[in-house]
Amino acid sequence: MKKLFTTLLLMLGLATPAMAAGDSPVDVISTTSQNALDLLKKENGKNTAQVRKQVEDMVVPLFDFTRMTALAVGKDWRAATPAQQTQLAEQFQTLLVRTYSSTMTRFKSAQIDVKPNAQINNNGREAVVKSEVTLPGNGDKKNVMVDYTLYKGAQGWKIFNVSVEGASLVTIYRNQFGEEIRKNGVDGLIKLLKDKNQPGKAA
Amino acid sequence: MKQPLILVACCALAACASPGGHPQDPLEPMNRAVFSFNDKADQYVLKPVAEGYRYITPQPVRTAVGNVFDNLRDVYSLANHALQLEGKKTATDVLRVSINSTFGLFGLIDLATPMGLPSYKATLGDTFAHYGWQQSSYLVLPILGPSTIRDGTGVGLSFGYSSGSWVFQENRDAAAATILYGVASREKLLGLDETFSEAALDRYSYMRDGYLQYRNARLGFTPPASQQNPDDDNIDDLVPEDTPASAPAAAAPQADASAPVAAAPAP
Repeated sequence: MKKLFTTLLLMLGLATPAMAAGDSPVDVISTTSQNALDLLKKENGKNTAQVRKQVEDMVVPLFDFTRMTALAVGKDWRAATPAQQTQLAEQFQTLLVRTYSSTMTRFKSAQIDVKPNAQINNNGREAVVKSEVTLPGNGDKKNVMVDYTLYKGAQGWKIFNVSVEGASLVTIYRNQFGEEIRKNGVDGLIKLLKDKNQPGKAA
Repeated sequence: MKQPLILVACCALAACASPGGHPQDPLEPMNRAVFSFNDKADQYVLKPVAEGYRYITPQPVRTAVGNVFDNLRDVYSLANHALQLEGKKTATDVLRVSINSTFGLFGLIDLATPMGLPSYKATLGDTFAHYGWQQSSYLVLPILGPSTIRDGTGVGLSFGYSSGSWVFQENRDAAAATILYGVASREKLLGLDETFSEAALDRYSYMRDGYLQYRNARLGFTPPASQQNPDDDNIDDLVPEDTPASAPAAAAPQADASAPVAAAPAP
């Protein structure tokens, strides 16, 4: 039913990546994941880079990387100057996009079931959208639970946290970031992330 | 395979809490040592063997092998669900094992999952947690990887008592099966290790924090507040919320956000 609805939306040309403020968080997730899967299915081994770029262009604007970085850094975020915060967010975005972009083709044949009931927190400004990802062809047919946390800002709903089976892909960095900040300060962390993001220098 | 138990004993003796470390990882120095040992073992033995296994077997064979082991794990899960007095899940496991062992040709085919019988795969560690042992320190097991003292104890006891003896007559066969299980499990993770290395700044704590978050969420366990930095959780304090221009929520006063930010597991 969801699929039919999405297809209809697609046909009407309403499902653009730039979401109108009135869209529900569930719509944001289900439409985007469906579109991303449709794009990934076009991947044929030759156009991998192009498909990756297209998916990135569609998905990246849905994330609020500043908020995401603040969540990853935790209380040390306050100690960082606005300039440092900008740099941190830029480097963290690069790290995440690079990491997950290289794996996205694994999810080519995945099925994503976005649960229609989002859990709304914080006076309706924050929502947790749950989804279940199935990877056929994998020996392990277990479904993977993926949760997205979104908040409603001036540009509509934006994702700032993603959890896979209860493990957050964002707060998983908090100890690593905290450790580096404790040793070498915020600038040390920026430098570490920059080094990590240099191609060919992945540790 | 009594190593986990020995390790547990070591932990009890050592009781070394490193200040400033992860509150659920007091054994960090030892864990890091085992982690780097596992890393080397993986690099030189486990990963090449898993790659060889992938090279010589077609996907349907690997799927069937995985299914057979999953079927055995369902038996183990059944026992644990029964110990936890989880009636419904025990019944599901009974049905899964019966169907897959008969119509599924001794477990080669997993018919139960498409029939709508979900698998939970409970372990002895889950059973311990069910009876109150929820909080447990992180423990890296040799070869087996991330675990906790609780789960490692479960693994040690299960290996010690059964080690497949209820399936195999000969110890040799049981050992061979254990190795094949290890290889087949590692094969499923091929390709993920690059992602892991790309994502992590410190691979040790990336794996630890991911594992603990996953494990705690699965058990529905939230570490006590004293273990978390209390002000970490409020993202709105860190990033000022911009007011939505047209949304009706804008009319509402800035709520003092007490709701948890991260995707909290359902109670």
